Formats: sequence, structure tokens, C-alpha cells
Amino acid sequence: MLAASALCLASAAAAGEWWAPGDGRPLPGEASYANATGALGILNTAGTIDTRGHPFFEPLGANGRACVTCHQPADAMALSVATVRERWEASSGQDPLFNAFDGRNCPHLPAGDPAAHSLLLTRGLIRVALPWPPLAADGAPLPVELTLEVVRDPTGCNTHPTHGLTSPRPTVSVYRRPRPAANTKYLTHSNFGVGPFIAKSGLPAVRDPDTGLPTSMNMMADARVTTLKAQAADAARTHLGMPNGLPAAALERIVGFEQQIYAAQARDLTAGDLTSGPPGFGPRNLAAAPAGVLGNNTTRWVFPLGDAWQQPQAGTDAESEGRAAIARGHDVFMFRTFFIRDSMHLNSVGLGNPVKRTCSTCHGMHMTGMDVANGWMDIGTTNLPWAREAPLNPWTTEAAQLPLFKVTCNADVPPHPFLGRVIYTQDPGRALVSGKCNDVGAIVMQQFRGLAARAPYFSNGSAATLRELVDFYDRRYSIGYSEQEKRDLVAFLGVL
Amino acid sequence: MKAAGAAFLLAALCTAPAAAEDAPGRRNFVACPIVRDTASVPCWLAEHDGELYFLTLQTDVSAPVTPPWLGHRVLVEGTAAPDRPRICGGIVLEPVVLSVLPELDAACNTPVLPAEDRYNLTFEPPRPPGPSAGRLAFAGAAAPPPPAEPPRTFALRYDFDGLVVFRHAGELTAILDAAKARGARSVAITGHRGSVLLSNGTTLVERPAIARRRAEQVAELLRGAGLTNVEYGVRWSDEAEAADGDDAALRRVTVELDR
Repeated sequence: MLAASALCLASAAAAGEWWAPGDGRPLPGEASYANATGALGILNTAGTIDTRGHPFFEPLGANGRACVTCHQPADAMALSVATVRERWEASSGQDPLFNAFDGRNCPHLPAGDPAAHSLLLTRGLIRVALPWPPLAADGAPLPVELTLEVVRDPTGCNTHPTHGLTSPRPTVSVYRRPRPAANTKYLTHSNFGVGPFIAKSGLPAVRDPDTGLPTSMNMMADARVTTLKAQAADAARTHLGMPNGLPAAALERIVGFEQQIYAAQARDLTAGDLTSGPPGFGPRNLAAAPAGVLGNNTTRWVFPLGDAWQQPQAGTDAESEGRAAIARGHDVFMFRTFFIRDSMHLNSVGLGNPVKRTCSTCHGMHMTGMDVANGWMDIGTTNLPWAREAPLNPWTTEAAQLPLFKVTCNADVPPHPFLGRVIYTQDPGRALVSGKCNDVGAIVMQQFRGLAARAPYFSNGSAATLRELVDFYDRRYSIGYSEQEKRDLVAFLGVL
Repeated sequence: MKAAGAAFLLAALCTAPAAAEDAPGRRNFVACPIVRDTASVPCWLAEHDGELYFLTLQTDVSAPVTPPWLGHRVLVEGTAAPDRPRICGGIVLEPVVLSVLPELDAACNTPVLPAEDRYNLTFEPPRPPGPSAGRLAFAGAAAPPPPAEPPRTFALRYDFDGLVVFRHAGELTAILDAAKARGARSVAITGHRGSVLLSNGTTLVERPAIARRRAEQVAELLRGAGLTNVEYGVRWSDEAEAADGDDAALRRVTVELDR
């Protein structure tokens, strides 16, 4: 349990939570960090560690960044847009976070100009540059089922002669949120649903090159790498600017650290302490629970509440009402049915289109709300007509921020089951790795933990708040949530 | 049949019966699926020749018959079960095989019909509409005893014009496991192209290259999953096999270890 005294200390230190590369502070075994709705708890199961010389915390490449730059303890080992803005102000845009390669909308844009960093500053988005077509390990282009055209290019990157799709090294730039480097046993489990063939498609699962075993393919927005080691190596080459990568010993230490860090909201301003009640809350419960098991409605809820908050609580009226709202929100998440329709890799995997289910159908992994395996799915966050777009009319002052691609599926493959042969998307998602028509816009779903500490949400940061996230689902699936249901669901998500 | 480019002849189609309904109760047809909500899980239905048929219930991925998709037509290959009470107003087809046709069809984008008391289920569905009861809906079915030794032959069944999908993951795993357990030195894969005799007397034939694509895909997937130290023999039949109304099994790939 996180001690109340620790919470007070952390709250007092909230203004100085930024962890700069090479900072040198020890990371305690338990820490908490204040945020807008309470406090986040971080648990390091190895106890206090010395970050001096630790490759997760030290700037190892030439650009001054470290892993911790985008995986901040106070932000649930991810990065909130509020933190990005604070760093911009504090450093006058000079922090290594704002590196030209991926901290700008495109490397050719001018340094120091907020407009050149608009996607990072407004949505917390990092540029992810991927070869198109995708390349095999030997550098040979992989076969693809689709063609890609740039329809809109507000960053100028996808049409740029050096960085774009028609450059000598054809590259697609998409913009994505950093994901939490915490609770990672849930990302890399080899439990339910993980086997030699992907349970949703029958295609071979990517194997861990070190163990030879199938992986859950549940990491990163597009599962382009599937182990912590491969992710760290990929991030070093790209985000840390280390073309020769990290030495094996450094990779090993980073992986070890990421395997021992747990992050979850630990205190709610209204509902109070989260670590001593429901067994689904708080970082200690995350560390103790089994990974890769599916929640259900009898023996194992996705986020167990237990009996603790099902009845009126002792304490203040506000605290009691806060806990009641969270319990109601849990029931909306777990049991409120609606028709889920036209979502690739959900409706296409034996459930029918539409399927009458609940939030927990897709977000079913016990304790994290991820899918248990290969969780890429298209719910419309990046594909039109559902993706957030600036309104087009003579009076709007809002400009589109993200690129738009036209995807045309080849005539000799089946069309996308729900979008046909021509698809407009802000981010082709998994298709940039697989080259497959039916993967266009499919994004690996994220864990639900530490949400209060790391807004905005979705891979493209299109939901600024949890309320906007709930509103997206309400529109997308014509759910018809009541105002009470929306508020309760937000309250529940905020304490995970 | 072709074997890596070698010609292979298949017997020509036999004279087809007049219609699939020559077999008692046989109903083979293509239609837009209909979804009717109930107080628990929705029913999947389809109309044919002025009659409403019950296709299946929403359950989960373990179901032997999984629901079709709005936005697509569905090929229904079933047998009417006149002794069964209607479900959601539809005559029960049992057994039934459903194939979602790949191309989108805007005419099939129909609204979900609302629940009505008269159509509510009179039995507990295998799975509620929300979270599971802690197990897959059909996981409790009695499994056959394991064979004394790993099987040597396998048959993968396909949707009409379809390739490998989610439900093949388990079957491919079984092949992979058997090949490893047996220490197989060769894998013979044969793809087939099916046809379906519909109840109206017409015959649907799968696209021409489907048999080859199926066979090559299975080989590619097994190789991709690590079965690389075997000799692959990949064959296919471009000729559609003759349809007689009971045709779902024609759409297949057979796999034989150490032929």
C-alpha cells in the first residue's frame, strides 16, 4: 500500500516532477505523483534503484534524450501533453524532447517555432517514420496488398523530397502517442490466446528471436516489434538517434527495469485512497495479478472491484458518492451492452457484424483492459469516416492537423470487409507493417492504467480528455449513453 | 490437379441435380442477413423463397457456426429442421454452414430489428451478450479422446471464395504440432475449388485461382510458423468439384504428413 505520507511528499514536489536524462536521482521503490484528479502510484518491485549510469535514464545517444524523456514516472511512464507544454515553456523549446527527427512535425521545419512542433505541443504526438513498402530484415521490400497516396499533408513531411513517400527512401510519417513503459508483463505475456498462429487471422505469430517462442504481438501501435528488447533497440535507433543501436548489456538493463515497474492511479481526489480497497486498483495489485488472462463476469472481472465499493461507504459523503460513481462506471464498462459494428479484427473474428457486447469485450484482459493477444483493431480513430477531422466550411478556423492518406486495395485481394477497396486514413496503422488491406487503420489497443496521468488519448491523441474518449465511443457505436453513464464511466477510467 | 506447374486433370462436372432442395429439407441460398435483437443475444436470420430461416445466435469464437456480417451477403447451406420450434420467428436450419461473401453489398446494410417479446428466446443462450461466464461457450463439449499417435491427415474447410481466417489458427497449430511430434519429413498440401448447388437450381462456382491460393497460403503459413525442415508438395485443382447440394466440404485444403 502506498503510504499517505509518501503521497503528501509527492504532492508537495509535484512542480518538479520532470525527470531529465542524466538527472541522477534515485527512483524509490514506491512513489506517487500528483495529477489533476488525484495521484499516480509507481511501484518498482526491485526497490529503490540508482539511476546514475542506468541506460533507461542516461542520455546515451547524441541527441541528449534517454528513454525517460518520453516515459516519465509522473506520467505513468508515458508522456502527457501537459508535460510536453511545460517542457516547452521551461526550456524555450530547447529540451531534447523537441528533437528535429521526431519531436518536430518534420525534420526540415525550422527549430524553435511552435508551429513546427504543433503535433507534439497540442496532441503529444511523436513522428514515427516508417519505410513504404515495409522492409524485411534483409532490407528487401515486402509484398503489399495496397497502394498509398498522400491526400493531405499539413506537416509537409509525407510529400517532402527528402523525408516523404516519393523520396529516395520512400517513407511514411505518422504521428503517435508514446505508450506507458510500465505493467509490461501484460504486454508480453504468453498466456491465453498466444500460439504459433494469430488467433484473429490464422497468420503466423512473430516469434521472440531469443526464445523462439510466439509473442503476443501486443506492443506499440502497430506491433512492428513484439518484445521489450526489440522495442528498446528500435527506439534507440530512432528516438535516441543511435544508428548503431544499444549494446546488449544496456538493452538487458532496460528490459529488466521495464519488467519491474508498475503504474496505476493510487488516489482519487473524490474517492480517496485507491490502494486499500478494490483488488483491481493500485500498482501493487497490478504487480501481483496474473498476466494474460481474460476477464469474465463471474470469477474474474477485468478490473475487480470486489465487494468493497458496492455498498455505501463510511467516510465523507463526497468520498462515498465518488466511490459509488466509480462502481457504477465499472458496471457501464463491464455490463452495458451496445452494438459494435464494422470494427475490423473484432466483428471479423467469429462474433458477427454487429455484435451486441460491452466495452469489456475488446478490453478484456484482466487488470489492463487490453486485448489478450495481437490487439490491433480498427475502431475508427484513424480511419474515415469516424476519425476526428476539422470541419470543412467557409467559416471554420480549425485546420486539419494530421496527414490523410488514400489507400486503394489491390484488385486481386478481397476488399476490406467493412470499408471496401478505397479507404481514407490518417494513419494506416498495422497495414504499414503487414501491407495488408484489412489491417488499414488497425491500431494495437493500449492498457487502461494510469490514464489520469497521461492525456490525451488514442494513438493519435484525438481525445483530449477521458470525456472526449467516452464521447467518441458513444458516437462511433451509437451507444446512447446517458449523461450519468458518461460521467460514471469517466470516473471509473480515471482511477485505473 | 497441378503439381507445381504440372497439369492435372479433374473429372468434368457431373450432371447436376435440378436443385439442392431435391435433398429433403436442403436449403441453399444467398441472401442478406437479418439481425433481430432479443432481451439477451441477437438472432441471425435470412429470408428465402418467402420463408424466414433462423441461421444462428450470437455466441463467441468457439461456436461451430459463427454469425454473418451486415453489409455482406451470406451463402447459406443448411437443412431445415421441421421438428425444431422456430427461433426468433425463423425455421431452424440444422446443420447449417454460413459463408460471408467477400464483396460489400450496400443492400445488406439493414438496421437491427428491435427486440419483441414474441421473439425472445425460450432457452438460455450458450453465452450472454456481455462478458463470458468464465469459459468459452462451446468449450464444455465432449472432446474426442486424443489419438494414440499424432494424426497424419488434416482437412481445412473454407468459406466460399475464402482463405485462412481466425478459426484456422487452431487447425494449423494441430498440423504444426503433429508434424513436429511425428518428425515429419514431407507435407503434401492439396487445394480444392468448390461449387455450390443452390436451391433455385443454379450453381455458384468459386473464383478460378482459389485452389492454388489456398494451397500456397497453407504452405506459406506453416513455413512462417517454423515448419521449414520438411519437403513441401503443393498441389491444387483448378476445376471446381461437382456440386450436389451438400457442398460445403468441397471447399478445402487437405494436408498429409509423410504421404
